[in-house]
Amino acid sequence: MTLQVSNLVGGYSQVPVLKDVSFDVKDGELVGLIGLNGAGKSTTINHIIGLLTPFKGSIKINGTGLNDDVKKYKEQIAYIPEQPIVYKELTLKEHLEMTMLAYNLDQDESWKRAHKLLKLFRLDNKLDWFPDNFSKGMRQKVMIVCAFLTNAKLFIIDEPFLGLDPLAVNDLLNLISERKKQGASILMSTHVLDTAQRYCDRFVLLHDGQVRTEGTIEELRQLFPDAGDSLNDIYLTLAREGDAS
Amino acid sequence: MKQLFRQRLTTHLKEMMRYLRLVFNDYFVLALLFVIGGLGYYYSNALKQLHTGLWWAPILIIGILLVSVQLGRFATLIEAPDYVFLLPREAELYQYLKSGFKYSLSIAVAIQVLFWILVMPFIQVTMHPMAIDLYLLLATLVILKMTWLNTDFARKYHLKRNWLSNRPLFRWLVPVITFAFSIYVNYWSGLVVSVVALAVSYFSRNQWATRSLDWTTMIADENSRMHTVYQFFNLFTDVPTLQGSVKRRRYVDVILNQIKLIPKNTYLYLYAHGIVRDNEMSGLYVRLLVIGTLFLVFVKGEILPIFLSLLFVYLIGFQMIPFYFHFSDNAFVHVYPVTNEYQLKSFQRVLLYLLTTVGVVFAVAVAAVNFTTIITIIGVIVGEALEIWAFVYLYLPRRLAKSERVR
Repeated sequence: MTLQVSNLVGGYSQVPVLKDVSFDVKDGELVGLIGLNGAGKSTTINHIIGLLTPFKGSIKINGTGLNDDVKKYKEQIAYIPEQPIVYKELTLKEHLEMTMLAYNLDQDESWKRAHKLLKLFRLDNKLDWFPDNFSKGMRQKVMIVCAFLTNAKLFIIDEPFLGLDPLAVNDLLNLISERKKQGASILMSTHVLDTAQRYCDRFVLLHDGQVRTEGTIEELRQLFPDAGDSLNDIYLTLAREGDAS
Repeated sequence: MKQLFRQRLTTHLKEMMRYLRLVFNDYFVLALLFVIGGLGYYYSNALKQLHTGLWWAPILIIGILLVSVQLGRFATLIEAPDYVFLLPREAELYQYLKSGFKYSLSIAVAIQVLFWILVMPFIQVTMHPMAIDLYLLLATLVILKMTWLNTDFARKYHLKRNWLSNRPLFRWLVPVITFAFSIYVNYWSGLVVSVVALAVSYFSRNQWATRSLDWTTMIADENSRMHTVYQFFNLFTDVPTLQGSVKRRRYVDVILNQIKLIPKNTYLYLYAHGIVRDNEMSGLYVRLLVIGTLFLVFVKGEILPIFLSLLFVYLIGFQMIPFYFHFSDNAFVHVYPVTNEYQLKSFQRVLLYLLTTVGVVFAVAVAAVNFTTIITIIGVIVGEALEIWAFVYLYLPRRLAKSERVR
């Protein structure tokens, strides 16, 4: 069990956005966090990476809570934010070095891996450029390269598909499945549902700050037999039901 | 992590030096010497008329010391991407922040000493303290500042006990009580109170140093600190990182609506609306106008008012120059079928309006205060008219041509 979120109540101010959210991500599993805009996907992620503190409930990574041991908790995470965020005054190369420093990675080995990743995302000739001047998609690639440079046990990826070109989306998905095989867990929030359906092992469907349902696509189909086959249909049915009630 | 802070500090100091060099240019240093000299003279004269036993003197001292304690903020030099890139090293960030704390403390202590030196003569004259008392007061001041900074340090963590980072408590309430003890009881008691406050605040470090960081607050705090710094520099030079906010200012529409909507006036329309609504620009203009007018109201003499009014007209005009390029990043202005020759003319017209307004306000202020010396009033009016004409029609085109080449 890598990530365990139990009875999480939380949000930005006193008003809770999340109301009693519980789910888990097991070793070697890719879980899709699905929800409409404002359903609470990013809030959940902000709680997991420690930007927000829970009002109630707990979040544990391999049994460690954030305030049990900050170091042990945080070392296991690699995070790719929805809005790529880079240092204005650092070059691409320096961003990679920063990551190696922060995660205490072996330089030689990491550079080998870095070059592979850079080539994959066609950034290998831009090492001395400033990512701050890149387009959104390219900055997103920088974030991906930095995250997959690490040996994190838990990858948290917030809406990766918007702004990436189709080739990069495909490459990212390959990277994810490679890491999955090595035993890492991945939590990915998205509303690109057809891609999610093809690649995620399990889904957590958030609506209005609550987990409406979770399970594999088969389980979801059995729960909503009339909704249709695709995740898209199931989610639309569920979201409309939620609004009606 | 300490290394990282040192690296950031070097870059930060370099940037600050660059701006400081621009701020303390020759003209400004000259004006500053004038002001300091004048104020010092005024202060020493005022002191001669004071004696012990004034009821308002202790209150004024407490007020000044309170202001002093507020100066010097906690510089973390944290940047927004840190919460992603330094995520795995969060536990070690305590070391980094401690370096920041030390750096901030050294600057804050320097400020406290400066204020202490400033109020010392006043305390001497009105309270007749012993020499040791003054040193005790300085120690109290420094200890309170340490507590102040430590509160801001605690604020960067997700605390269990929130009162440890309570700003009104440690910034205002504790200092007021402490200074009251110092001034009204005796200086030893004030020192004891401040030491207790510091001890409480320092012992709490063990409690929060191992907890998780509040990145959102930390980044917001640092951004707001840097914004204040940049705003100060922006008084003297153009700060590119400062993105101005915009206000509607409906009451100026009466003037803005005078602009005829013909192609020739495209830039006039843009510049006029832009300068009025851009908070940085209009704020700068109004601030300098008010400061200049205040100076002219308080300063008497034959030559000094002329000199000051000319200096401020130049300063204000100089601040407005970078706005010429304000729209050059906007794709629209390059697409408009309008020739560039009107751009300069429009900008000159806007500046002419702005500076003439300044000139009139200054002239009225000078005339009101020095109505007996006609020669000064005439000097101000003629001097300003000449200066504004030369600035807008001779200096500005050359200056812009030079900047254009650099771009």
